[in-house]
Amino acid sequence: MPEMKLEMQVNGRKVMRLADPGQRLLDFLRDELNLTGTKEGCGAGECGTCSVFVDGKLVKSCLMPVAKAQGAEIQTVEGLAKPGELEAIQKAFHKTGASQCGYCIPGMVMAATSVLREAPEASLDEIKERMGGNICRCTGYSKIIEAVALARDVVTGRASPAVLEPETVGESYIGHNVRRLDAPSKVTGRLKYAGDMVMPDMAHMAVLRSPHAHAEIVSIDTSEAEAMAGVACVITAADVPGTDGFGVFVHDQPVMARGKVRHVGEAVAAVAAEDAATARRALTKIKVEYRDLPGLFDPEDALKPGAPVIHDYAPDNMVKHIPIRKGDIEAGFAAADLILEEAFSTQQVEHAYLEPEAGIAYVDHDDVVTVISPSQNITHHRHMLAGILALPINKVRFIMSPVGGGFGGKEDMIYQGMLALAAMKTHRPVRLVFTREESIAASAKRHPSRVTYRMGLTRDGRITAIRFEMLSDGGAYGMSSEGVMRKAAILSCGPYEIENLWIDTRAVYTNNTPSGAFRTFGGMQAQFATESMMDIAAERLGLDPFEIRRRNMMRAGSLTHTQQRLTSASIDRVLEAAEQASRWEPGAPTMRGPMRGDLGGPGTRAPCTLGARFETPKDSKERVA
Amino acid sequence: MLTFERYEMPATLPEALALWAEAPAGARLVAGATDILPWAREGRAGDVDLPLGIDLSRVAELRGYERHGARVRLGANTVWQDFLDDPRLARWLPVMPYCSVWFADDQIRQQATLAGNLVNASPAADGTPPVLALNGELELCRWAGDHIMCRTMRVEDFVTGPGATRLAPGEIVNSVTLDIAEGYGASFQKAGLRRSLVISVACVAALVKLDETGTRFADVRLALGGVGPVPERLRDIEDRLRGAAVDARLIAEVAEATASRVASRSRVDYRRRVVPGFVRAALEEAADRARVAPSAAERKEAENA
Amino acid sequence: MQRRMRGRGVAASWYGIARTATVDRAGAWAELDDGGTAKVVTGVTEIGEGILTVLAQIAAEELGIRPEDVTIGDNDTARSPEAAHAGATRQTYMIGNSVALACREARARLFAEIAAHWEVDAGALVAFDGELRAQGTNLAMTMAEAVDLCKRRGVVPVGAGHFTAHGTGLNPEDGSGAPWQAYVFGTQVAEVEVDTVTGEVQVLGLWAAHDVGRVINPRGVEGQIEGGVVQGLGQALMEDYQTANGHPVTHGFAKYILPTALDVPEITSILVEDRDPLSPLGAKGIGEPALVPTAPAIINAIHDAVGVRIRSLPATPEKVLAAIAEKQAREAAAAKAAE
Repeated sequence: MPEMKLEMQVNGRKVMRLADPGQRLLDFLRDELNLTGTKEGCGAGECGTCSVFVDGKLVKSCLMPVAKAQGAEIQTVEGLAKPGELEAIQKAFHKTGASQCGYCIPGMVMAATSVLREAPEASLDEIKERMGGNICRCTGYSKIIEAVALARDVVTGRASPAVLEPETVGESYIGHNVRRLDAPSKVTGRLKYAGDMVMPDMAHMAVLRSPHAHAEIVSIDTSEAEAMAGVACVITAADVPGTDGFGVFVHDQPVMARGKVRHVGEAVAAVAAEDAATARRALTKIKVEYRDLPGLFDPEDALKPGAPVIHDYAPDNMVKHIPIRKGDIEAGFAAADLILEEAFSTQQVEHAYLEPEAGIAYVDHDDVVTVISPSQNITHHRHMLAGILALPINKVRFIMSPVGGGFGGKEDMIYQGMLALAAMKTHRPVRLVFTREESIAASAKRHPSRVTYRMGLTRDGRITAIRFEMLSDGGAYGMSSEGVMRKAAILSCGPYEIENLWIDTRAVYTNNTPSGAFRTFGGMQAQFATESMMDIAAERLGLDPFEIRRRNMMRAGSLTHTQQRLTSASIDRVLEAAEQASRWEPGAPTMRGPMRGDLGGPGTRAPCTLGARFETPKDSKERVA
Repeated sequence: MLTFERYEMPATLPEALALWAEAPAGARLVAGATDILPWAREGRAGDVDLPLGIDLSRVAELRGYERHGARVRLGANTVWQDFLDDPRLARWLPVMPYCSVWFADDQIRQQATLAGNLVNASPAADGTPPVLALNGELELCRWAGDHIMCRTMRVEDFVTGPGATRLAPGEIVNSVTLDIAEGYGASFQKAGLRRSLVISVACVAALVKLDETGTRFADVRLALGGVGPVPERLRDIEDRLRGAAVDARLIAEVAEATASRVASRSRVDYRRRVVPGFVRAALEEAADRARVAPSAAERKEAENA
Repeated sequence: MQRRMRGRGVAASWYGIARTATVDRAGAWAELDDGGTAKVVTGVTEIGEGILTVLAQIAAEELGIRPEDVTIGDNDTARSPEAAHAGATRQTYMIGNSVALACREARARLFAEIAAHWEVDAGALVAFDGELRAQGTNLAMTMAEAVDLCKRRGVVPVGAGHFTAHGTGLNPEDGSGAPWQAYVFGTQVAEVEVDTVTGEVQVLGLWAAHDVGRVINPRGVEGQIEGGVVQGLGQALMEDYQTANGHPVTHGFAKYILPTALDVPEITSILVEDRDPLSPLGAKGIGEPALVPTAPAIINAIHDAVGVRIRSLPATPEKVLAAIAEKQAREAAAAKAAE
């Protein structure tokens, strides 16, 4: 690597380092200066977790070679407020509850600071427009924008600084808007996520991933990589001492591919080295010989006779089938005045938590193999890893680092095993941080679904029978498919009491990216179909959408789809609450939009056309265009 | 991951050109760096180690802009945010702010240069249609042993296909010269899956100048991007409208005919539906804005007052 | 058809709290500490939902101190009791109730000592916000003094608690069973605008009414609803992970499109409290259920606006525009046939 004498002012202090001028400003701040409040979310300028000021202008530090910052004045989130203090914008984030997982928050605070500096009179629309380069996956932005508007009002003197103070408690702390206790650590960038943590003598891991969807591994030759200067170890499936397999339900996934690969991006081998660049270079020296196997890419194909088999234990490629039967489906359809048949589908969805997977493993002084990672289930991960490592369970320890967004995607133990193996092999702390692309290719997705729906109704809108079938692509490994199919089946036909049901949900193996746990665990895919059906039925029967739902809704004493007797059901209350709050104008859903009188009222925003900054607010300086 | 064996920050154009003239194979010029860094990642180029990066951001000659009569010459380091933050540029080049506000986001616009966007010649580049509409011309310079040789080329001729241009070995874009279109109404139409950081499926840039009665097209500039290998000026429509009365039916009629311009290989049906709607909306919006756009004389008066 | 068309749609939903069709359990430890502070140890940490703040509120309420006086550890399988996974909308329900029970045990230890000292019935003691008093008397002290006194009497006020949710497995033949002991319900209304030139859909307003059981932190609940709605919006309109023969095509955030601040509607949350009778707190949950009705509400609203039914998510501009064109062609053909 070339070296250059880099000099700049960082957060008001003069900094001088001999460093690679072509490295990103982001790496320079994080690795050379330990300013880890600036995060890497995507490395491609798409998310804004790395936003910093360079000579007063907000930029994405993952898109700037550090040489461009030579001689510049840099301000990072750590430099906004004095230690122990918060700026108005940070207080506002604290007050409104604008931080959740917190990983986007340093960048958001920087973007908000830029708004307050560049356009202190900005309207709500202009605030959003100027913050359009920063992605948040947790908050839905609402409380963030509220915070920026609150800080704007304080900074411009329109509101008293008192509005930033906490609300006083009444008679109870339950039901009270206690400000988030973790917010100060998030709005200042002080909170350390796993990828921000550094240990003495730490090695850095990189993972070799499969370029094939389905292939036999004929051989792996790691000798050249092992021999490279700076390489601490190379690991493959051969290094696993215990029973290799993990999964939320069925333990069908090896720590690294064993014998064959089942999806593109599956881990095949890993290198721990002095730095991440060396580890990545070493990956190119590992020689893997593959023999291609026929692949399965469509769940329908997986069920066909003679289809390739993905896992030997499941020759029919079925991960899980959940049946639910209630009443007499034939009688129910026979009693119907109207029978609707429809098909629906939903796509695979990425969790897109802004913190890519990361972790550190080490073997402690008592020989306890310890893994620090944003795992959503340390209890189960410890259990599985003890089996994989053939260790007593109290010789394996999981520490849950702050999770920069999970949504179910961090329930799968897809990398902690590799870290543990490398730490055991080297007796050094080993850290792995996924790139965004790696996270997307290797982590589970929301199950895509195909639903065929048959619904029978009487003329007055009462559902007499439902036949519901869902087929889901579980991808290459079981992960949470079993549970997702179960929850999808249980919830499938919605909050309605239906006498006659026939429900089947199935997940099958393919060679696609695995599907797994994702917020709602099958519930949204199934209910998307049901709630679409309810409106289709309402249109056909000339009923208001609320009315048809009321005619079928569960009540106290109802029998659910799984024949559980409910002691209470608040569906009537939430229907009424939504109807009233939205000032819903009743009527059948027959493309009523052009005639409705309830549109555009309180609770709506204006459509975004971009260019909010071109509109000159009164009493403001001239704007361009 | 992008690494450079050598990274140079020349301070003058002769230095930059001399480095570039002698650069080893595989060396790259770095302007805003907002395209090259995302390019060197998995799924695209993967890990890339370049023998040399020549960073142009400190080259003095590429900075700033100056007016030459009815044209403005923008140094190649002019960034997209300048069209939003510099009221004079916004006034001279009324289509640029509307395009700029759709371009990536505020932060990327602080780094991304107009020239870089033109040189990358992405078929989805937002920047090219407005530049075509403003009769953009590039100044291309190279080192000729002991002096600088420059030539000029219309942007329309410069971009030859997706990612392909007529930039010759050893050449650096020195400046972009555009028509000053003060008093024109402008519009930029773009669609996408969301409202920020949008990648174009198709875009339209329009500039309209009305006659003194405000009822006839005195001048029309119209350019289309994202619908074929290269962005194009719709001169036949411009000619048809110039001198004609501003009329919704006429606009709708000329717009309808633009569906046939779509030559993309993907998402053809969608583009064929969207483009006529965009052309119509762009012409109508630009004409509306032209009606309220103050003339240069009025502007001057207001400034002096 | 005008260029911009608006419409509204509604969708209802239901959801179960905690792990599905199984017995769910969690444990926690608590200690009233010097200075009237407290330590609470659980096996779980924040994934962004606000659980640490919720637990601090619960501990503060149960122990009679302030949330900022509560220190929460340890998220560590070697140092803390089992809490199991951070998911399944189980945090407030499972860990929250465990913490409440652990705190009650610690408080009972302390109250027994103070009641003996004051010679009153322990049932007369009330603690809130750092102050302890005996009802019907003028006896009062700070919680800092109370802990000091308790310890001087030789007792460290500690407690442990665990909570069980009694779900049952499903019958493998007919699926019958009681998968959860607590259910929540929700309804959302979406108002959209469809651009008939581009097919773009903007969601302008969204009303979300959710039963969450007893509300612990209203802003926290709103935050969960807002976040869930926007994830639902992303799935309804733009997000689409795609592979070609198993190879990821959407390999980064330039290709995998997420909603930005410009894409979100104004969101009005309405919190409905149908308290859970089977748990000490009466709270249920909101993490996952918030996003269930969003996509169908949006899709139903698109139908209301332009009369097309999108059956396949996401409703991209391309898909919406193609559906509008198909509808117009169908209507034109029908009109022609009618002539």
